Amino acid sequence: MSVNTPATPGGAPNASLRPLRKPRRDWMGLLYVAPALALVLVFFLVPLGMTAWMSLHNWPLIGVPRWIGFANYRALWNDINFWNALAFTIRYTIAATIGLMLVGFALALLVEKPRPFAGFYRTAFFLPVVIGFASASLLWSWLSNVDSGLFSPLAEALGLTDGRLNLLATFAPAFWSVTAMVIWKMAGFYMVILMSGLHSIPADFTEAARIDGASALQRFRFITLPLVRRPFALALILCVSGSMLAFDQFYIILAGGPQNKTITAVYWIFSQSFVSFRLGYGAALSMVLLAILVVLSVIQLRLLGDKETAR
Amino acid sequence: MHKWILGLSGLVAAALALPLSASADTFTLWTRSDSSTFMPKLVDAFNNSQKEHHADLQIVPVNELVQKYAVAAAGGTAPDALSLDLIYTPAFAAAGQLEDLTDFAKSLPYFNALSKAHMSVGTYNDRIYGVPFSADGSVLIWNKKLFKQAGLDPDKGPTTWAEIRTDAEKVNALGGDIKGFYFSGNCGGCNIFTFTPLIWASGGDIFSADGRKVTLDTPQMRDAIAFYQGMAKDKLIPAGAQTDTGANFFSAFATGKIGITPSGSFAIGALASQSPDLEYGVTPLPGKDGGSSSFAGGDNFVVSKGTKKMEAVKAFLEFSYSLDGQKLLARNGSLPIRSDIAKEALDGLDSRYLIAADAMAKGRTPYSTVFNDLINSANGPWITMLNTAFFGGPDAIEPAIQAAQSTMQSIVDTAP
Repeated sequence: MSVNTPATPGGAPNASLRPLRKPRRDWMGLLYVAPALALVLVFFLVPLGMTAWMSLHNWPLIGVPRWIGFANYRALWNDINFWNALAFTIRYTIAATIGLMLVGFALALLVEKPRPFAGFYRTAFFLPVVIGFASASLLWSWLSNVDSGLFSPLAEALGLTDGRLNLLATFAPAFWSVTAMVIWKMAGFYMVILMSGLHSIPADFTEAARIDGASALQRFRFITLPLVRRPFALALILCVSGSMLAFDQFYIILAGGPQNKTITAVYWIFSQSFVSFRLGYGAALSMVLLAILVVLSVIQLRLLGDKETAR
Repeated sequence: MHKWILGLSGLVAAALALPLSASADTFTLWTRSDSSTFMPKLVDAFNNSQKEHHADLQIVPVNELVQKYAVAAAGGTAPDALSLDLIYTPAFAAAGQLEDLTDFAKSLPYFNALSKAHMSVGTYNDRIYGVPFSADGSVLIWNKKLFKQAGLDPDKGPTTWAEIRTDAEKVNALGGDIKGFYFSGNCGGCNIFTFTPLIWASGGDIFSADGRKVTLDTPQMRDAIAFYQGMAKDKLIPAGAQTDTGANFFSAFATGKIGITPSGSFAIGALASQSPDLEYGVTPLPGKDGGSSSFAGGDNFVVSKGTKKMEAVKAFLEFSYSLDGQKLLARNGSLPIRSDIAKEALDGLDSRYLIAADAMAKGRTPYSTVFNDLINSANGPWITMLNTAFFGGPDAIEPAIQAAQSTMQSIVDTAP
């Protein structure tokens, strides 16, 4: 506040000059953002428009597209498999998000302060993030293999299970095994985001609170938590939209099994487009998923957005 | 992506080079990566055998072939010809992408000796759009060393389901890592190749001849599922089979720890190079009480609609159908597709190829324009039924068959 106040009188004459300069400035501004705009246009808006256009056709992978209006969307409404896939995706998103946020936050608190080996731990926790999802999934599917992997023989050797248990053959162990893999792989990423938030909390706040006699728990509850809300919101939105688009891990480790119980929304879109060769229908599914993601992100922004800016 | 760009530039280069070298008529040819052993050799032999035509080969990863072809066809850069997994021929023909080859095929003096199963899926609405090119038949293979150890006659393969079961039990009794039997329990493609022949050999079928009617609900299907289910329940197969999506289809047997497994003629060449010390026998896949059948797999040769290179394509096909061409195929992993010269083409090779070639000649291929959707899909009705029923209790069989029957029929009925 004290910084802002003297700036206001200085800003006033500027503001009165603005109408004169405005047109040229606008053109210059447009020129500066033109490269970014072009990128957005070519790599986002045009493909989006094409997807929307395809979704209005019966568009086979091979053969001739035929205009069918909104028939794909009507078919989608009755497509029980898509809604099941979406329900599963939401279930996975909830599990993965809670796990990732808790582990990510715990890791961030652990490595935030300059402690001995903090740099080493930061790197170690972040390391799995740089592996691609596909490679991590392949690694995990080998580790989970009942005959030649690690987990089942290890559990048997330790006497945890009676005989070898095929982790991937029933829903619950398969689901949690994949979720655990995702947490192992991605927690480091959210750790970094949350850690940067923790670093931006001015040390005087905690110091003042400590002088006033606030306990560690109180300092965490009333200073740390409110002040990491913005980076937390960013992490949450990235995590939810990332999890809603989950595909690789379920495709590679489980192939949608056991008994098609782990098919995610994107998996179903892929399957319709490139296994059943119905590109138009896949495009319609993509549009619906996009709409759902936009709604989810808006809700999260509203819930976690800064109250100051909302006012 | 890289290969794709290379492919495109290859096509462009071929198009540019064409007017310059008027002497050689170049045509483009795509094949799937499974054929990467014999195809380059065959193409080289063809290009060296004459000066008039030149084949330009592009190998495409097997799982991307259909998508890449579709994109190329939509952009007007489809290859002149394509060696296509035969089960896709009806779908491609139905989409109107293929040149009619009826007159050419019927003009061949050995037309009647060409693989019947390939021809049946190459035909759409009584016209021929795909002709046989390479072949792979499903067979049963057994480990002779383990048979000997288990006190079985190592030179006698099982000829009924009951014999498979008792032989597998005896091998399984050796204990340790050794298991009696293997199948990929979560792989639709593997099981259409090796499991349906059990049903065919017992008198059942899964589709009507035109592919419009699904006939899963038969006593033969129930018996065959119960047969596999029993072996899974009694742990004659490794636990990993339940979730194997095809990765171990071949390699499980190659480790030498499996007594019997259904496989394909491709395994003869693959075992020779990967596990040369493994002693094994080859026998046709039996029916419940005898008889035998096989899935005739492999590729059909198709020509993109509107190609201007028909003469070159014909010359290439005639070359590959010649005795030299068939011999070259047979020596590099494909069975001959001409029954009249099959013996000559296989002369001097591992005698087990002859058993596979005989099985393939009597083999069948299911006909459907939506084969991928029904059978090959990792989440399609076929493998969902088999996985649920193989690894469930006896009560799981009936509902699994009923569910798959109605799902499949509705996919067939709503196919465009």
